[in-house]
Amino acid sequence: METKKFIRLSMLLAISIILNLIENLFPFLNGTIPGVKIGLANIIIIYVLFTNSFMDALYVSILRVIIVGLLRTGLFSITFIFSLIGAIISLLSMALFKKITKLSIVGISIIGSVFHSLGQIICSIILLNNIHMIYYFPFILLVSIPTGIVVGIISKTLIDNTKDIL
Amino acid sequence: MNKNDFKLIFGIIIICLIFIIIMNFIPKNQAKIAKIYHNNELVLKIDLSLKENKKYVVDGDKGKVKIVTKNGKIKVEEENSDLHLCSKQGYIENTYETIICLPNKVVIEIEGKKKDIDTVIK
Repeated sequence: METKKFIRLSMLLAISIILNLIENLFPFLNGTIPGVKIGLANIIIIYVLFTNSFMDALYVSILRVIIVGLLRTGLFSITFIFSLIGAIISLLSMALFKKITKLSIVGISIIGSVFHSLGQIICSIILLNNIHMIYYFPFILLVSIPTGIVVGIISKTLIDNTKDIL
Repeated sequence: MNKNDFKLIFGIIIICLIFIIIMNFIPKNQAKIAKIYHNNELVLKIDLSLKENKKYVVDGDKGKVKIVTKNGKIKVEEENSDLHLCSKQGYIENTYETIICLPNKVVIEIEGKKKDIDTVIK
């Protein structure tokens, strides 16, 4: 990795960690509906996915989950496994849909948000051995549309405005 | 946002609606057991999910307590006490609702069939 790219990615990683921590500070962003949050850290993942490559986004995403896990919940707790699987599934689906469809950034962001919750629900069905979590699925899916749109619009503005700088 | 995005949002909403409609047709697992205690001893268990209409009689401290089940609900119909609080309470049907007959030392509790706590996340 070149030094320039290396520093750029680590700066973006730091921003995504800070966004994740900030999000947990505000109760109206996180916790008004159980299991739902906006997912501000996804802005950086989408940014890296569109300006760099898929592999770079994967590095940033996994490192973010690990560091936030260290800072907040502790490594290898059940919430850590939830967010790791959610992050990986959402990134994989975003990269796939970016390649095979003609969705704009907002659409890709909605896909990421939908698959993040889908991954977490599948994970909770397997780990908690509780099939009734599936009743929660349509409501989570509906909520992920507005959060996906918000994150998508922010990332689009970010990408358009920082084209020449970064 | 372009046309494809709106198609995507529309598709997701339709999937949600289909899911919600399907879920309403699946009968929910409402296994409930009414447990009747006298002097803290379990004397009778009634499966409320069968929705039977039956009458039961339990011994209380001040005489017989008559209990009626109807359509998955349970109530005390007749008992001997000063205020008749428990027969005035009427039917109960939800998990963790209770009828307490203090003079007769009879307690009716509704429990789900499964264990009380689903999961604990720390």
